[in-house]
Amino acid sequence: MRRAVILAGLLLFWEVLAALGWVNPLYAPPPHQVVLTLLDLFQTGEILPHLQATFTAALLGLGGGVLIGGVLGLMAAFSPVFSDLLEPFMLLLNAIPRVILAPLFVIWLGIGLASKVALSLILVAVLIFFAVYGGVKQVDPRLLERVRTLGGGRSWLLKEVYLPSLSAWVLSSLKVAVGFAFTGAVVGEFVASSRGLGYLLSFAQSTYNARLSLALITLIVLFVLFLFFLFGRLENRLLRWRPKNQGGF
Amino acid sequence: MLRVKDLRLGYGPVPVLEGVDLEVGEGEFVSLVGPSGSGKSTLLRAISGLLRPDAGEIQRDFAPEELGFLFQEDALLPWRTARENVALGLRIRGLAKGKAFAEADTWLVRLGLAGLGDRFPHELSGGQRKRVALAQVLAIKPRLLLMDEPLASLDAILRTQVTRDLLSLVEAEGIAVLLVTHDLEEAIALSDRIYLLSKGPKARITREYRIPFPRPRDPVGVRAEPQFGSLLQRLWRDLEEVSPCVAQ
Repeated sequence: MRRAVILAGLLLFWEVLAALGWVNPLYAPPPHQVVLTLLDLFQTGEILPHLQATFTAALLGLGGGVLIGGVLGLMAAFSPVFSDLLEPFMLLLNAIPRVILAPLFVIWLGIGLASKVALSLILVAVLIFFAVYGGVKQVDPRLLERVRTLGGGRSWLLKEVYLPSLSAWVLSSLKVAVGFAFTGAVVGEFVASSRGLGYLLSFAQSTYNARLSLALITLIVLFVLFLFFLFGRLENRLLRWRPKNQGGF
Repeated sequence: MLRVKDLRLGYGPVPVLEGVDLEVGEGEFVSLVGPSGSGKSTLLRAISGLLRPDAGEIQRDFAPEELGFLFQEDALLPWRTARENVALGLRIRGLAKGKAFAEADTWLVRLGLAGLGDRFPHELSGGQRKRVALAQVLAIKPRLLLMDEPLASLDAILRTQVTRDLLSLVEAEGIAVLLVTHDLEEAIALSDRIYLLSKGPKARITREYRIPFPRPRDPVGVRAEPQFGSLLQRLWRDLEEVSPCVAQ
């Protein structure tokens, strides 16, 4: 609540500054203009193909990245061979700013959807890989021993101990992953594309259109916040076994 | 039912246990006492198959699924309800979910936990969690139950109550028990036989006591038996002999 008041106050302050002519509306257009631009984008339907392009890329990248990162993480955690094979590679990928791969993906995959999905996917997959790989090592050995003495083999250990224990780790990284997925999609579009929010942003930049730029930023922020909200709900549902005082991440 | 012969086991170059022989008969309640660090828990782990002995033999005339192990910590799965925790062993044994849950519920009732099946472990008290752990291991109908100071974390009153329920269930089901404990009175009150393990490393069984009290037994009432005091004294003296630290 307090945060909402502060935000509203800031926007109002900005609006007042613009009305008094203290800021140049060309560089910092007042909030109401940004809102009008946004409404206009939706009314004309101009934004829809771009939204669709970015969302498709980000969500495919997110889904694929979680899946691939998760599976590779599990494989590395349980098989020393895979861990030797994957860990140095993943550490390297983790250390570099992965967006530098964007031009390469364009060369390999073209300026269409595939190169954006690939960038988004690799950003997410490395993050999830380390969440899973590290998470497996944090599993309580007493629980493993308990399930083993009840006669449970590998599949029971995975289902009853590893996966639930990991879900806490992965869910907390999932919020970060949402941001990464959009970063990947938008940066990919920046580099080379004919559609998408990144393309529009790049267009806004080249035409010195701060109003459009801010409208697009607002839009992306709103969508990411919406996804955060959804993941928060999912987290509460899946982690309802957790004592309340430990809270979420 | 269980026979351990000349067992040797160690983590490093010096074995923790060496030349350990012990036996548990059908439906017999046997306790294992000894100074701390003598390798009692290690011995249980070897018997359960969690650890592989370096030498010696462990003969079991029952299937591996018929072995239950109750740990010191109540390591219940925190993300599963009490019912799901109790049903786990049954489901591992191939029972369908619905049947396993129904059976789990009857065990929860037998252990005085009626109506708590949907609670998660963190929503239960320490004593209730202990009972869930007990229901979990009894539900698989073990023929031999290994216990590693399972009630150590409970206060005296709870401990007495859970012990009484445990003993009556074990007696009713004819389950053989091998209990590791540091509580000599508890060992005498519950057991048919007690083994004394010497101080490690190279710990071995140095003495064996037969406890003559009849069954079914009341673990509190039995302490009033005339022989109880003299048995306790003897056990205490022998324990002091094998563990110099206790005497200080």
